[in-house]
Amino acid sequence: MNVPDISVYYFGAISLVLIGLYAVLVKKNVLKILVGLSIMETGVNLLLISIGYISGRSAPILSEGVTASRAVDPIPQALVLTAIVIGVATTAMALSVAIILYEKYGTLNVEEIRRLRG
Amino acid sequence: MNAQYASLLIAVPLISAFFVPLIKGFGKRTVKYYLMLVTLVQTAIAGAVFVNVYRTGEPMIVMAGGWKPPVGINLYVGPFAALFVLIVAIMSFFMAVFSLKAVETEPIDKYAMLFLLLMLGSTGMIATGDIFNLFVFMEITSITAYALTAYNKTGEAAEASLKYMVLGGIGSSFFLIGVALIYGATGTLNMAHIAQLAGGINPTVAQIGLALLIFGLAVEAELFPLNAWAPDAYQAAPHPITAMFSAFVVKAGLYAAARLLYIMQNASGWGSVLKMVVIMAALTVFVAEFSALRQRDVKRMIAYSSISQVGMIAFALALGTQAGVEAGVFHMINHAIVKALLFLAVGYVGITLGGTGIEKFSGLGRRMPLTAFVITVGSLAAVGIPLFNIFWSKIRILIAGVEAGYTWGVALILGASVVEAVYYIRLIHTMWFGEGEGRIRENLAIGTIALFLVLLILFIGLYPNYFWTVSQKAGQDIFNVVDYVKNVPLMGVGS
Repeated sequence: MNVPDISVYYFGAISLVLIGLYAVLVKKNVLKILVGLSIMETGVNLLLISIGYISGRSAPILSEGVTASRAVDPIPQALVLTAIVIGVATTAMALSVAIILYEKYGTLNVEEIRRLRG
Repeated sequence: MNAQYASLLIAVPLISAFFVPLIKGFGKRTVKYYLMLVTLVQTAIAGAVFVNVYRTGEPMIVMAGGWKPPVGINLYVGPFAALFVLIVAIMSFFMAVFSLKAVETEPIDKYAMLFLLLMLGSTGMIATGDIFNLFVFMEITSITAYALTAYNKTGEAAEASLKYMVLGGIGSSFFLIGVALIYGATGTLNMAHIAQLAGGINPTVAQIGLALLIFGLAVEAELFPLNAWAPDAYQAAPHPITAMFSAFVVKAGLYAAARLLYIMQNASGWGSVLKMVVIMAALTVFVAEFSALRQRDVKRMIAYSSISQVGMIAFALALGTQAGVEAGVFHMINHAIVKALLFLAVGYVGITLGGTGIEKFSGLGRRMPLTAFVITVGSLAAVGIPLFNIFWSKIRILIAGVEAGYTWGVALILGASVVEAVYYIRLIHTMWFGEGEGRIRENLAIGTIALFLVLLILFIGLYPNYFWTVSQKAGQDIFNVVDYVKNVPLMGVGS
């Protein structure tokens, strides 16, 4: 069989996204769903970083011996820095909601948290 | 004139949000009046920008830090953005006035801060010209929206917020993957630059990247498979926030989706993405109308109605013709006015009588005549009766749909409109012919806002041409990508 030539970074990143998506869709515990969301965000960040990687070059900090032509693409790193912060903020927000849910319902099972219907 | 003052649209809400904790010391009422003041200032700036853009016919381009795009981030305040930034500001002001009455129990300082950030995020989503910046503003909007949904510390609010957060988290991850794919294929994040390079992208990458971007935005824009959070969030959020969600947060998502769709129109495989959006939108209309039919809670019923109208807008925007986009923009304006009015009035009933179940509305015509009258006008307008504003935009959407060859979609929307008429007339009947006694004194400020919105509905219904020309200009802003690219002063970088 012909194995497609795909870099291990892309493969790993997409796998992480899919693992996270699986956890969100299948797990019943709110905390496990949130862990799944975090894994998904990590995968996306890894994908962004690997898109900017150019084989054999160093970090994009211009210092002695490193010129602009010897550095990897700096833009995805700025994007990921932003995306990480956003991910952490969302997770913190979601965890505080999980605390309220546990206080009000006494459970973290999504099948029992069903007061809104219609 | 120097266009850079349009950046105040972002700067004013941001800096005012940071001052809220300082104002908090002066007491609850001060924070509420501060909120009104800031939104009023924002309305003034947005009004100035609107007048400037429509008088000169030129868009205002703000270049962050003086770097020319595509190196720097630019804000593009064209006819569309100017119009919608104004709508965002006016609706925020109205809801700040409504918050005087509606938000009593929970801490006001956090509410004021999140309120301003929600306004900031929506303004930014509409004004930005850079896809990663769009992502950041989208996250500002959605994180504040999560927090505001959970603001009433009840179990229902937390549940609705969690649903929204999980769906929003998946959506934003997909959006970011889409950004990564588009960036990997073109090497740029600026929308005008992407529009130039779109023709040369590998068709598979372009299709998947665009579909992922649209998919991510569809969570915010409440398109069919991803809108399960919306009715819950609308029901559980504080009443002013519900009105803001439906009046402009959804519109920001829709606009961003439409903008991204049309800047990629040179990419191969564009037509199939367009078809996907049309199918999603038609299903949104259909499913939401039928869900609204069996609701016992009026706020939830109007939430479903709002989702179906949003589906109609998305249908028009994704037709791929100029007539469709113009009709969609016109419907966006009308829907913002009508749904703000309905959520305002229903929310007011909710805080006065304690709850928005259908039984509270029985005999409302005798108990609160002004509010009942306002809800009646809003309901008739939402159904699309002639002489009201939505009649004009709905008919234009239907005509555009037939012209574009989507007769099945038009038939679906027309069928759903009949269902819509049924549940709105049921509500009107309950209000005017139900049991219920005891006159309740109504609030003056909220009544004034509601009457103003009613007059606006009747005005657009009788003289649609003023607003129609405005929405034509705004629609061309989205549809005509060649002019969009020409207007953004791209720096000559190797592509």
